[in-house]
Amino acid sequence: MSVSTPATIVDGRRLRSERTRQLIIEAYLSLLRNSKQVPTSAQIAERAGYSVRSVFERFPDLISLRIAATDYAFAQGTASAQPRDLHGDRATRIRSQVETRAHTCEAWLPMWRALNANQGDSEELKSRVRLARELIFRRLELMYQPELSTLDEPMRRYTLIALEALTDFESWGRMRENFGLSIEEARAVWMQTIDRLLPPTPAA
Amino acid sequence: MTDAIQPSDATASASAEGREARIDGRRLRSERTRRLIIEAYIALVRETGQMPTAAQIAERAGYSVRSIFERFPDLTALRVAVTDYAIAEARANAALRDLDADRLTRIESQVNQRGGGCERWLPLWRVLSTDLSGAPDLQQRIGMIRQLVVMRMEMMFRPELASVSDAERKKIMLALESLVDFESWARMRQLWGLSFEEACAVWVKAIDRLLPQTPA
Repeated sequence: MSVSTPATIVDGRRLRSERTRQLIIEAYLSLLRNSKQVPTSAQIAERAGYSVRSVFERFPDLISLRIAATDYAFAQGTASAQPRDLHGDRATRIRSQVETRAHTCEAWLPMWRALNANQGDSEELKSRVRLARELIFRRLELMYQPELSTLDEPMRRYTLIALEALTDFESWGRMRENFGLSIEEARAVWMQTIDRLLPPTPAA
Repeated sequence: MTDAIQPSDATASASAEGREARIDGRRLRSERTRRLIIEAYIALVRETGQMPTAAQIAERAGYSVRSIFERFPDLTALRVAVTDYAIAEARANAALRDLDADRLTRIESQVNQRGGGCERWLPLWRVLSTDLSGAPDLQQRIGMIRQLVVMRMEMMFRPELASVSDAERKKIMLALESLVDFESWARMRQLWGLSFEEACAVWVKAIDRLLPQTPA
């Protein structure tokens, strides 16, 4: 015989509410992936299998939902983009970094576009765009530390800025959408470009 | 019957000329109104970075909202006209220079021109290239602007690009296009806080590294 105490009832309710919240976020992200339009609350509700009212019970407005979806995407993206091969040779590090970055771009480009299109609506969204770019910058710094350490300022910073521009989400989007490159071909462009941009690797 | 002009012919001719002059005058005024509406749109975008409403455009141009929709069936048609105007102006101000100069001069010339273009047209680019769904004319023009940027670089860096295979050239052009994108410029200036000269220096160094060796 199971006994429902007030605590288990509250926990169950909280879990259901969390699950609903999660499903709404996933519905929003899934709609973004399938359409270039920013989804409406009615579309999100329909996709998640809830009412529009349920959406607004969990998120006071669509900006709050976008912020929550962005945080969720960052957490997912960061989890699947741990730095690898940090101590590998030059070619291995370039390959590793490009594979990770390409995977992130492939998975999150629609989300990134929506985030950029709407960042004017909210300081919180703007700060997340800035944070994402800083993380990309720091990753490049980490992966190419041996080569970058041979440069003086401002050349070191200039090289990082150029690397960031070349491996931007929209750079990936253009290669894949406008020029019809396969994932492998697009990665090859980035690998060659990074190799050309980086200074020689110092002898160990 | 002579060939001399009879009074009635002269009157008819004068009145036809008058009609034509009136039509020409009307056409000129209409063209001027159209141009002022386009310029009002551009000025508003530069000031606010936002897509302006019909009421804002009308107020800035000094016409009624109705005047706008007499010349443009909808705001998308106005966006297309604004894009055409911007392309024409940008092309007029972007004559190819230093085509036969040495490598560094050509890179610097290209970067200065492109940096100046990004500086001038970034707000408009953002507004025009946002939400292109349902606007194939606009999509086509955005594609054309990208092509013009690529074609210009192909001309400026012809000696270097001619020295590599087609596949190699394609990879280099993809990289160069990403590098000199409007948003790449915007990040250097707005996010990383670089001056115009510093931003140009980033591009000059990067292009120099990306391009193959200049043939002797």
